Amino acid sequence: MASRSAQRTNKSKPARGKGFPAQRTGRGVARYYLLYEHLSGALNDGTIPSGGALPSEPDLVSRYRLSRTTVRRALARLEEEGRIIRRRGSGTFARQNRKAVRLQLDLHTFFDDLPQIASQTSALLLRFESGPVPASLRELLPELGSSAVIIQRLHRHHGTPFALTTAYVPQHLANKIRRKSVERASLVTVLDQVGPRTTQTDYTTSAVAADAIAAKRLDVALGVPLLRTRAVLKNGQNQLNGVVESLCRPDRFNLRAQMERSGARSSNPQQWRLKRGKT
Amino acid sequence: MTRATNAGTGVTRYLQVYTVLSQALAAGDIAAGEALPSEPSLVRQYGVSRTTVRRALARLAAERCIVRRRGSGTFARDKVAKSVSARQIALILDDPRSVGTNTTVRLLEFKTTPIPDFLHREWPEFGPNVLTIRRVRYVDREPVALVTSYLPEAVGQQLSVRRLGNDTVLAALDKLGWHAASCEQEMSAVAADPITAKHLDFGVGSPVLNMKCLVRDARGQILRYANYLYRPDRYEIHTAVERDRHPRGRQANRL
Repeated sequence: MASRSAQRTNKSKPARGKGFPAQRTGRGVARYYLLYEHLSGALNDGTIPSGGALPSEPDLVSRYRLSRTTVRRALARLEEEGRIIRRRGSGTFARQNRKAVRLQLDLHTFFDDLPQIASQTSALLLRFESGPVPASLRELLPELGSSAVIIQRLHRHHGTPFALTTAYVPQHLANKIRRKSVERASLVTVLDQVGPRTTQTDYTTSAVAADAIAAKRLDVALGVPLLRTRAVLKNGQNQLNGVVESLCRPDRFNLRAQMERSGARSSNPQQWRLKRGKT
Repeated sequence: MTRATNAGTGVTRYLQVYTVLSQALAAGDIAAGEALPSEPSLVRQYGVSRTTVRRALARLAAERCIVRRRGSGTFARDKVAKSVSARQIALILDDPRSVGTNTTVRLLEFKTTPIPDFLHREWPEFGPNVLTIRRVRYVDREPVALVTSYLPEAVGQQLSVRRLGNDTVLAALDKLGWHAASCEQEMSAVAADPITAKHLDFGVGSPVLNMKCLVRDARGQILRYANYLYRPDRYEIHTAVERDRHPRGRQANRL
């Protein structure tokens, strides 16, 4: 592995790779992967522009003090993903950026976007049954009680799964929900049809490693990062209509928000809030 | 599944199993004192070898997350002093006043450099140079976020390490008369690379909450682009979404 001094000498080169610390193979991380990730980042952020040449194999070998096999493995993976193209005799080049088919949920237009996403995607109903509310949710939302109707769905876009959602709906509302309707519409839309209209959502965003179940359903490897969201749906009387917990593939699903700050010039503590959802 | 396991992450299988189990323990999905699934059932569940499972368990045992009792099984340990929840930390970090007083930062980088390509491509109005500030934010001496900010040179040149101090970048800009008014955010989940893992004291490959945001003033001038990497066990993003009072009828069906 590269020593510190070797890295320093590397800096004098036209250093596109200076950020890649070859000596830090973290515990349990494949060496090829570090190079893969580094090159992948350079392709993503345009450090290597589309059509641009990647450093040659021998160059990568010497720059990062990796074996040729390791370098080849990293390049092979990028090629497999269609991100680079290798031309015999002339080198390796970044391919035109294929825009991945990615869904986008804008929180500032949340209530408009949900039905739209539902209309572009399909939902496979996995569970629709009464069951216990997990302890973590009970603690957060005691008003949900200890049991609720659990509606679990796998959402697909162009055939690829992008989200696994688990909703907890109070019994009295869930009784009126037909199975058919949750296969087509967003839960907010469905709840609107059976009870008081949802008027606000507390939305929490986090990240989590895919466990065995999520990995299988979402067709990803065990342990890959997933975006985890929780939407607490409430009606105009501040009563709970339901909670939806989602695990989303970050390569297929994007979450965005436009925020604005009121009274930026006053001395009050400035509060950020969602921009009003006019489009 | 086993094959996909490795191809997908480049992280060895034992680390994947370790990450998933350690998350379940931290979140209380496996409560203190409760038994973990047996080795054979973990082998089946994750589609990995017994050696892999043992290695993951050995690391959890070394980190004192579990205790292995010969003959009776493996159990989750009591957590040593329950740390502050992600929700509580979010309350501190989301309030500009308490960030300044109740948290600390470590400055990793503060320098003016040519604009990185990805910024230039997306927002050429940044100009040729930017001030790059990279810091780690701590709450109760525990690292919570690795924050990299890019400021246009005109904005950045009025800022110094001393003026910035412990403040958030936006609070420091406020004091200089640059008032943020709007912000576009994008949230995602990424695997901790070795640098991030080191600064956040987190496992390589562990899931990290990533927020990127572009901040403008009331006239639409860019003040800052920032990339936040948060430990998801110590921070979560809260957003209150309100719906229009009345159904918008036709407009709601716009496509």
